Amino acid sequence: MKKLVSLICFAAVLAQAAPPEESVIKIVVFTQQPDWDEPWNNMPVSRSSGTGFVIEGNRIMTNAHVVTWAKQILVRRYQDPQPYQARVAYIGHDCDLAILEVDAPGFFDYLEPLPLGGLPKVRSTVVTYGYPAGGEQISYTSGVVSRIELQNYTHPGNRRLLAAQTDAAINPGNSGGPVIQDGKVVGVAFQGIPGLENTGFFIAPPIFEHFLEDVEDGTYDGFPQAGIRMAPLQNPAQRAYLGVPSQFQGARIDALFSDSAKNHLQKDDVLLKVGDHHVAQDGSILYENNQLHAGLAFSLAQNGDSVPVTLWRENEQVTVDLPVTVDRTNAAAGNLYQLPKYYVYAGMVFTPLTKNYLSTFGQNWSATTDTELLYELFYKRKSDPENTRTEAVMLASTLAHPVNANMRIRGRIMIDRINGKRIDRLEDVISAFEEANDDYHVIEFARGAGFETIDTEQAKTANRSILNTYGIGDDRRL
Amino acid sequence: MKHLITLLLAVLVLVPEVKAQRDKSPWANSVVRLDINRHNYNYFQPWSRRVAANQKFGLVVGEREIVTTANLLYNHTLLRLQKGGRGQWYTGRVTWIDYHANIALLTVDEDEFWTGLEPAKLAEHVPDTGAAELVRWNSGRFEVRGLDINRLQIRKGQLTFIDMLHLELDSEINGVGWSEAITAGGEVIGLTISQARNKCIAIPSSFINAVLQAQADGSYRGMGFFNFYWQQSENPTTLDYLQLKGQKRGVIVTQIPNLPGDNNTLKPKDILLEIDGFKIDTLGDYDDPVYGPMMLENLATRNHWAGDQIPMKVWREGSEQEIVYTLPKADFDNELIPTALYDVPPEYVMAGGLVFQPMTVPYLKSWGNDWQRRAPVRLIHYKGQPPTESRPRLVVLSTVLPDPYNLGYQSYRFLVVDKINGKKISHINQLQDAFDASEGEFHIVEFEQGEAVERIVLDASRMGSATQRVMLRYGLAESSVINE
Repeated sequence: MKKLVSLICFAAVLAQAAPPEESVIKIVVFTQQPDWDEPWNNMPVSRSSGTGFVIEGNRIMTNAHVVTWAKQILVRRYQDPQPYQARVAYIGHDCDLAILEVDAPGFFDYLEPLPLGGLPKVRSTVVTYGYPAGGEQISYTSGVVSRIELQNYTHPGNRRLLAAQTDAAINPGNSGGPVIQDGKVVGVAFQGIPGLENTGFFIAPPIFEHFLEDVEDGTYDGFPQAGIRMAPLQNPAQRAYLGVPSQFQGARIDALFSDSAKNHLQKDDVLLKVGDHHVAQDGSILYENNQLHAGLAFSLAQNGDSVPVTLWRENEQVTVDLPVTVDRTNAAAGNLYQLPKYYVYAGMVFTPLTKNYLSTFGQNWSATTDTELLYELFYKRKSDPENTRTEAVMLASTLAHPVNANMRIRGRIMIDRINGKRIDRLEDVISAFEEANDDYHVIEFARGAGFETIDTEQAKTANRSILNTYGIGDDRRL
Repeated sequence: MKHLITLLLAVLVLVPEVKAQRDKSPWANSVVRLDINRHNYNYFQPWSRRVAANQKFGLVVGEREIVTTANLLYNHTLLRLQKGGRGQWYTGRVTWIDYHANIALLTVDEDEFWTGLEPAKLAEHVPDTGAAELVRWNSGRFEVRGLDINRLQIRKGQLTFIDMLHLELDSEINGVGWSEAITAGGEVIGLTISQARNKCIAIPSSFINAVLQAQADGSYRGMGFFNFYWQQSENPTTLDYLQLKGQKRGVIVTQIPNLPGDNNTLKPKDILLEIDGFKIDTLGDYDDPVYGPMMLENLATRNHWAGDQIPMKVWREGSEQEIVYTLPKADFDNELIPTALYDVPPEYVMAGGLVFQPMTVPYLKSWGNDWQRRAPVRLIHYKGQPPTESRPRLVVLSTVLPDPYNLGYQSYRFLVVDKINGKKISHINQLQDAFDASEGEFHIVEFEQGEAVERIVLDASRMGSATQRVMLRYGLAESSVINE
């Protein structure tokens, strides 16, 4: 009898909490993306919409991709037609999360922050809340948690983080909306896979908890990486070669990329434990009943934290504290969300080689781009680190003017040297031109693709008028 | 002008005559059909041998001598010829073949075959305009179809990496490119190699003649080529920068790929002014005495063979200098990733289920016609790299045939091998020695930096038995094929 009473009481308490939809926010965004091919220009303004939800501290959580490139963000409360202006307080492009704030007084009055829950169990039921397809009324879809895995996050394009898959419909406009179980947020809806039916993905609680903890100090750092490549250690000969005792599992460290990894780890170390998690032979750990890639355990540390790792090294078990940091070395290989860098001189438009730049080659860019550019951007850093440039620079185009009209090679080509100086980053282009004291500038293209010349004096004289002719306010953005 | 009038007259006089005698075309006695059976190797499964059959045409050009393009004669197992468009097939054989030149000579040993066949004349000079005819057997009938000569152009040869002279024609005919003879003025002016939409490409008879004559008198040493890249000097500022005096002329050498045995002294930023006595203009053309403006690449193959010494004039550091350029031989063996392999089976070594293969373009072509887009970028990248002394070739771990021995490695593939047991690997024939060099219990295979995995370890003592087991299980007759 006592049990029944407590149950009723519990139900009464729950009934008092506001329904979750009252804390779900519709977000309408006007965005303007830069033109990566003509980096001083912008693309037309476009309108899109997404969803967000109220969390502790009068804040709205949504996806980064909902508010990326936003010029204006309008938020609307449940069943309230009035739009309010919002602004981005924090944005984490690597985890596709953002926090919005609203300055208008009273916006958060009577809005209950949604409580945040833990990682839901596979096969349990969840409900998504959101404004898919731009609709005015809130939409609910329900489904089960199909699986929990590390997924490729398409917003950064080159990051795998923990996510849950559900058969609840997740459509454009649902992005940023809460996925709710037992009245708590257990996910943030964020992406689907075109062509795959009944699969939507939501960002898992450890990821948004990490994001919230990260911004507590007022800046967002991101998800760190171990800076290593692990290889499975299943082959008996390889296990014997490394002398791994049979009672241990463990995966082999095959390559070291980050400075921290190079300083603290060795190739052929066998990773036995990351924190408290035992590492299996295939490089996975058991995380809340899900067998997941061990990289997860490193990513859940905060930038600069040390992660204790247990290793089998030279026939001994050792424990090492491995500092982990956010890898910013090859951001250009992922999607960038800063205005593109450029420098225009004598009509020659220089911009870094980035994935965003290559995507201006057309929808099918990855299939039609010169293989060498793909190699430079996506592979060289790992296969030939000694010769990899910090930032490869392209001659994107040449704006026609008599001073450069005779140049035959005019664009979409990578720069090797200018006036003999190796171009390792965009800043080198500027200093190479500015420091020149010969009669001719010599621009050499990568991989022996020839060179072009331009008269130094004429280039200097023509530079300003070319900028004016083509409506370029600033000759550079660095 | 006189030349043009003669040509026009010849065309006017000859064309109606040939058309009138369509059923008894004199070419019908010179054109024969070829039926070729050949190995069609699958480089993803180098131990499997499939067969392919192709039909094309040959042209009688001399005493018991037939010329055709070299295409599709590689790896042949049986060659048969037929005259008259129907009836008996005769077994033939290749007496001489050069894949860079794309020319083959064939013969038939049976005397009876030659009865009624007559040699055709290959034109010394090829017209670069006007009408021409394509002649061939088609379903037992002799077909004579008109086409228009478009131009002579320099383009990459069909079976090689070198550039040479080709004849381009406009044609509405379908299914062209099987070494059909193109005739004009009562002579054969070319043999077709390909067709794309309404453009048909042929090897000009002038080139075939030159090769056959050199071959006959023993002076043929293989095709030579210019082993340098150049750029046009249409930007006059660049010629000023290079301090060229006098009128704007010549093209600029930009890159000289590393090539074993190429000791030529050309340098980047040399201005090429003259080759073999012909002045080079800023577009890279010279004025050919027969064909007019032609790209300078033609001077490497115009009556020249590998090893020939060609005088050149270059502008270097403010003055004109004379140099002698020795034509390097076109040789697939000198490439890091050979463009082609002819008349040899694919090489491989299977050790404990790990399949190692030389990296070659035929291997990369396993990804299909658009292999340059579909094959892994890391592999394609090597195609543009020159060989070095320490790394003349590459070997890849192309796949792993799963077996308990290679547990954990089954999904590794397309990895470029760096070392085995500490020994640098460039050639597939170095593998066995490297495995034999293991002194301990293990074989250590290392891959190039940046591959999906950089090192794997195998049990040395059990490799032999694993290899035997994998051969049986996966149906490999040989654990390795290595060509001499």
